[in-house]
Amino acid sequence: MTRATQLPDEPNWKRRARLQHWLATAILVIVAAIFLLPLIWMLSSSLKPEYQVFEMPPRLIPHPVRWQNYREALTYVPFGRYSFNTAFITLMVIVGHVLSCTLVAYGFARLRAPGRDTLFILVLATLMLPYPVTMAPLYVLFNRLGWVNTFLPLIVPAYFGSAFYIFLLRQFFLRIPNELEDAARIDGANLAQILYRIILPLSMPAIATVAIFTFQFTWNDFLTPLIYLHDQRLYTVALGLNFFRSSFQVNWAYLMAASLVTMLPVLVVFFLAQRLFIQGISVSGIKG
Amino acid sequence: MKRGNRRRQYLLPVLASALLLVLAACAAPVQETGDVAAEGGPSGGQIVLRVGTGDSGEGLKPHQEIIRRFEAANPDIKVQLEPVSGSDYYARLLTQIVADDAPDIMNIGDDAVPQFVAAEAFLPLDDFIAGDDSLDTSVYLPGLLEPGQWDGRQWFLPKDYSPLGVYYNKKIFDEYGVAYPEAGWTWDDLVAIAGELTKDTDGDGTTDLWGIQLPGPWTTGFEYWVAAAGGSLISEDGSTFIGYMDSPETTAAVQFYQDLYQTYKVAPLPADMSAFGGGNSEFDNGQAAMRIFGRWPQSGMLENPNIDLGVVGTPADAVDANVLFWGGFGIYSGTEYPEAAWRFLKFYAGPEGAEVWQDWALPAVASVAEEAGLNDDPIEGAWLGELDRLVPRAYVFTPYWGQAADPALRRVLETVILDPGADAAELTAAAAQEAQAALETAQEE
Amino acid sequence: MFEFSASALPAVYLFVMAASHSIKRRETVAFYLCISPWIIGFLLFVLGPMLASLWMSFHRWDLLRDPRFIGLANYQRLFREDPLFWQSLRVTLTYTLLYVPTELIGGLVLALLMNQRVRGISIFRTIFYLPSVLAGVAFVVVWMWLLHPEAGLVNAFLGLFGIPGPRWLTDPHTALYALWLMSIWGLGRTAIIYLAGLKDIPLALYEAAAIDGAGQGRSFLSITLPMLTPTIFFNLVLSIISTFQTFTSAFVATNGGPLDSTLFYVLYIYRNAFQTFQMGYASALAWVLFVIILLLTLLVVRSARSWVYYGGGSE
Repeated sequence: MTRATQLPDEPNWKRRARLQHWLATAILVIVAAIFLLPLIWMLSSSLKPEYQVFEMPPRLIPHPVRWQNYREALTYVPFGRYSFNTAFITLMVIVGHVLSCTLVAYGFARLRAPGRDTLFILVLATLMLPYPVTMAPLYVLFNRLGWVNTFLPLIVPAYFGSAFYIFLLRQFFLRIPNELEDAARIDGANLAQILYRIILPLSMPAIATVAIFTFQFTWNDFLTPLIYLHDQRLYTVALGLNFFRSSFQVNWAYLMAASLVTMLPVLVVFFLAQRLFIQGISVSGIKG
Repeated sequence: MKRGNRRRQYLLPVLASALLLVLAACAAPVQETGDVAAEGGPSGGQIVLRVGTGDSGEGLKPHQEIIRRFEAANPDIKVQLEPVSGSDYYARLLTQIVADDAPDIMNIGDDAVPQFVAAEAFLPLDDFIAGDDSLDTSVYLPGLLEPGQWDGRQWFLPKDYSPLGVYYNKKIFDEYGVAYPEAGWTWDDLVAIAGELTKDTDGDGTTDLWGIQLPGPWTTGFEYWVAAAGGSLISEDGSTFIGYMDSPETTAAVQFYQDLYQTYKVAPLPADMSAFGGGNSEFDNGQAAMRIFGRWPQSGMLENPNIDLGVVGTPADAVDANVLFWGGFGIYSGTEYPEAAWRFLKFYAGPEGAEVWQDWALPAVASVAEEAGLNDDPIEGAWLGELDRLVPRAYVFTPYWGQAADPALRRVLETVILDPGADAAELTAAAAQEAQAALETAQEE
Repeated sequence: MFEFSASALPAVYLFVMAASHSIKRRETVAFYLCISPWIIGFLLFVLGPMLASLWMSFHRWDLLRDPRFIGLANYQRLFREDPLFWQSLRVTLTYTLLYVPTELIGGLVLALLMNQRVRGISIFRTIFYLPSVLAGVAFVVVWMWLLHPEAGLVNAFLGLFGIPGPRWLTDPHTALYALWLMSIWGLGRTAIIYLAGLKDIPLALYEAAAIDGAGQGRSFLSITLPMLTPTIFFNLVLSIISTFQTFTSAFVATNGGPLDSTLFYVLYIYRNAFQTFQMGYASALAWVLFVIILLLTLLVVRSARSWVYYGGGSE
């Protein structure tokens, strides 16, 4: 974390650094094991015959191992089609959030105007009203627009910003030193240029966070698609997962198997996107 | 930041607009199918009927098969199934009804019938039943029409149903030489058999074989115990819980339930209180000899090598009793195609639909059950036999059951399961007062 | 058409920029142009439903029949007659007190771990983040297993140290703690936000500190923490809001029980809205919650002026 390479007392430091490295690795491994625990259980139960899922005492290694749970679970529900729908929606929402939230957050972080702080509280306030009470009025609205049973209610609002990400980005933009911006302004850059050439490149970790979270929330969102998508051909992965549950019966082995498989895209995206964090370090390292 | 770069700043807005156009294009075709449905009235080609159901997954297969057969026989109608599973079904349905955008035919659980009917969300079916395209309602098995009635009219036809029953694992009974429970058994028999089969097999001081797995604080299931003890939870005019929920009979039922857990210790404590199941899995694991529940998990039990399954009716105490869990289909009052909806409903809930249903669940039509030989089947026959022992559930007497009484009753059950020292009479007395107060709040119209 | 106006904003902005002269006015115009997507979205999609729910809170409405105006009766019932309102508020506040510090401190610790320069760190990061991806019904159910009083792993672990494990989800004294324990596995999400914040701290600062002879602990206190305060502030506000909105874990694992010990506020709202069809009452509950969170947030925002440090910006 710290740039200790430049410390003067070399040998002593080297030993300490190596020790520290091993210590860090050990802690990481232990914590990772703890964090993997629930996943291991999911994996284990996804390979069990249904009647063994709740076996007491539970056994970790399933016997017999039912690989066919995966095949059956994934054919049980048309996950191919649902994944395509979900991917399309998710991509659109990410683009919407990144475009709109950066602009709005920039306004709140960098521009002075009367009423700004009050408006910002209003932004936060929109996070606070619980959905059960706004769900019905919102549905009435989208129904009037003729958007029900299309992807529009899931996508279009993203292009008008989301309070959570506006807040997140604002916090990051506020930390960027003013000097960079002033220098650019002296060079004759306008606001759009400042935003897209200076602020955004310096905020890649934050933007990656917005993308990761948007991906995850949209991919897993259950309630919005539930309410707005009626035609089964439009269903998303989260709705498909729910097919393994009915009011009196749950097929746990299938649910676990399908949950794990449908989680993979999110993990892959996360694994790739976190590289942007590394990029962020170099950029701000040079310029900051 | 030279002039040449300036154009690039228009890139993002333009890109965004282009994306939105793509978006609109993608969304449009889907919307059109909806519009076709709305405009293509009875004269203008195919009618699209929307059917809402709380079933999902495997449970959709009978729906799909019935729809396939129906569409083959009625080429002028296309049926669009809109499944939503489980607990969020009503949230979506209510939202759709508010927006006047609900499916033409909807599936409702028994205890929601009074609320939806009182709110005029459904069409009464009596005129259809007696009309040109009539339905002979005498085809149904006993007790299956009543849950779909309210205010003397028929609003729903049966979709699926289950009474309670006692599953038993013959393997365990055989191993310990205990005779299987038989129809006509009593609470005393239950305690005796469960006691015999509750064992500490490895001698470590903890029970590892249980007599009976009970469904924890499942309130609707508990109505059976109250009825069997000779009590009821509410007055028949729906006006009061006092004298009912706190009657000696109700208290006796609560006491017995508590004793099974705490005094006789023949039932494993629930591992969680989340749902009706109480999170127990002992019966599935071959660690409980009996389980009282509905028919829903039966197919899984039949495939389970830990279990050699038998089913018997619920034991009687003061009264011979069982309760029914039921789901039915009705026609949305805002539908544009009541006639077409009736045609489908009649097909679905009538003999044609029952033909398909019998492969998945108990069929509602008596002749279908008869032909399939279900009455003589040792397991299915036990379930069907229970239909003659039904008593009405509490929700039929008040539309406020879920709001006023259910939380109070749930608290009673949770307390007796958790606390061996809890006094059943005190608990029921307090619950009756609480439910009554809530009922009066709810009725302040 | 709304879409177009929103996305074309920067272009419109340029046009207006060219036309306006006063720097101050220019900045005001620029501000409102920048945030105009949000303003339009707020007016279109948020304000309407918000006002509708406020309107509903003065009515008796089962969502099916026509709503009936009853004035403040819902609010009166809530404060005076409904013990479950107070219970759910108590549960939620207790959980907030448990969870917010856990999220703030635990998330930071996890983020520092994720920020180690160790081989395979990207895999470790993915592992730490993984449980928050899984947070859904299936994940909650796995936890119900791990917390099983007789056969669960958690109690088996406690047993190693001779500690008799509690009955977790079935004991009203421990159920809330059980849900809290579950939530720790979701810390990866908070940690990611911290990590993004950590990665944004200019290395030059650490280099300068190292040259001045500051040790790791010192540079953490004098550089990392102050530079991280905007992120901490964000996480603080968000974790307060999100604990007040806790729903899924309680809905799936305990359904508010046993004995209402996990009756979270939003769960209670959901029940009233969609299980007992009292939308008017649910709306009143929601607005009381809204006011509570808003006041808490204002308090935090006000206090932020004294402890949040912004490197640049115009605060």
